[in-house]
This record gives sequence, C-alpha cells and structure tokens, in this order.
Amino acid sequence: MQSKDIFYKYSLKLKWPAQCRNRTAEILSQRPDLVDQMNKFRVKINNVCMIICRDKFQVDTGFSATGVRLWFVSGQDCYDFIIRQPEFEWEVWPELDVMNFITSQLESFSIVYSPSGVNIV
Amino acid sequence: MKKTAYITVVGDLPVRFDLERSLLLGPVVASGNTNKHMRYTHMTANSEAQVQDLLNSPAIAGSSIVVPDRLFRKYCFFDAITHLPDLPGLKTMDIDPDKCTAQSLSLMLSVYLVQTVVFLVGYNISDPRELSLLRRIAEYNGQTKFTYICNPPRTNRLDDLPNCFCDTFDKYREVINRAK
Repeated sequence: MQSKDIFYKYSLKLKWPAQCRNRTAEILSQRPDLVDQMNKFRVKINNVCMIICRDKFQVDTGFSATGVRLWFVSGQDCYDFIIRQPEFEWEVWPELDVMNFITSQLESFSIVYSPSGVNIV
Repeated sequence: MKKTAYITVVGDLPVRFDLERSLLLGPVVASGNTNKHMRYTHMTANSEAQVQDLLNSPAIAGSSIVVPDRLFRKYCFFDAITHLPDLPGLKTMDIDPDKCTAQSLSLMLSVYLVQTVVFLVGYNISDPRELSLLRRIAEYNGQTKFTYICNPPRTNRLDDLPNCFCDTFDKYREVINRAK
C-alpha cells in the first residue's frame, strides 16, 4: 500500500537474482534459502535507494515471480537508479510505468538503456 | 482536487488580468510560454523551445506541463511533464496535437477536464485558422459553454454558434467574485 499524500509517479521492476526468477509460491515454500536470498535482495535495494534517491521511494512488498517493483516520486531519482543499476549487477525490466496525473492511469513505456543514457521508445 | 463547473483557458496572447484570481473559479490551463509569470493548474506546450523555456521558468514551478506523446518520451523524467491524454475527437476534427498551437491544445484539454463552462482569456482568434479551429471544437462539444473574454468592444465572430458567448473582463471578474 502506498503512503497517503505522496504521489509516486514513476515505477520500475527490477529482476530477481537469476536463481530466484520465475519461482512459484509452492517452490519457494520448499526453498527457504531462496526466500532468504530474496529478502536480502529487497533489503539491499532499499539501502541502495536510500543512497541514490533524493526524494521518497518505495520498494513494493507484494510478491511477483518476475521481480521487485519500485516506486519513485522524482523522475531524476528514477533515472539515476536506471543508470546506476549495472554497478550492482542488477537488471531492470525494460519498461517504465508513469502515473498520469490527469487520467490517474499508469502508462507503460519501453526503455532502452545504454551507458550514455536512457531512451524511451 | 475540488470539482468545479468552470475552467479558464489562457491563450497565446499576453493577458493583463490577475490570473491568480481565476484560480478561485476553477482550474486554469495556460498555453505555451507567453504568460509564464505564475503557477497554473496545467500548462500546455508542443514545441521543444516552449518545453525547455517552461522547464527553466521558476515562476511556474508546481504547474504540470502537458505535452504530446513525442515530447513526453523525450522529457518524461522531468517531474513537471505530464502526458497529454487521448483527447476525444482529434481525428474527427483533423487536429494534430504536434502541429496545432498550444492554445488549441489547452482548449481541447479543458473540454476534456471540465465539460460545463470554459472561459477563454487572451485567446487569439485574429488568425482565421485559430478561429476556425475554435469553431470546430465548439461545434464538436455542443454540451459545453464557451465564453470568450475580451475588452470592449465585444467581438461578434462567434455569435452564430449557440454555445459560444462573448463577455468583458468586468463580467468575468463578477463571476469570480460570486464564486469566491
């Protein structure tokens, strides 16, 4: 659940570490080592965001087999996160979701990451 | 956001009116970079020069800058930039959001946001293309009342449209005072 009065405009999904991807809830219940790794991954994301972000951010606690959803208030923070994620050997899904202030709908855009910048296609 | 029946469109022309008072009436949508001296509810822009100028104008900080898809993809990481929604009737009215003027974009956005009464302040109708576009938008949105605000003498160029009216700034001020 997002905090009240804070408008998280930008959202990204960060892929789980390779061995944790596409695991069902049943498999995870039998593999506490993977669950532990996923929890540590979330904590690490949170710590990194605390260093990178100047404005508010949120690491979504909802479970997804594909990755962890992140929310940013500021576009600059979101951009910095995309640019800096290779430093941590992470991988973001090539999709940026932006909340439209007028329609209150989440709009998806494909992103192309290159070391020189991020392009929306 | 408070629901209101009124919305004000500030056109491409410089306006000598305290537009901060217009905010008491409802949302205000400004066009391009002509009147960039205060914070509006929304501002529209459809050229690179306008967007860059608005992003570098501290006076409008806090206004959302609504831009068409092409510009949104380029400037989406700026917090103020908002994607222009799919406005109904663009194809029917043969309007390209990238090529029309910012004031036409503001007008269409206003009709999309508030469908009751639209006040047009500093709206340029001296250009026949702009006048024709305004008429097309007014005809397409027959349920919306468009009030063109100007200094006397009032124009009669919109008189043939049943949902278009012309009033003076004094009358507009009275409406604002009544709404306060």
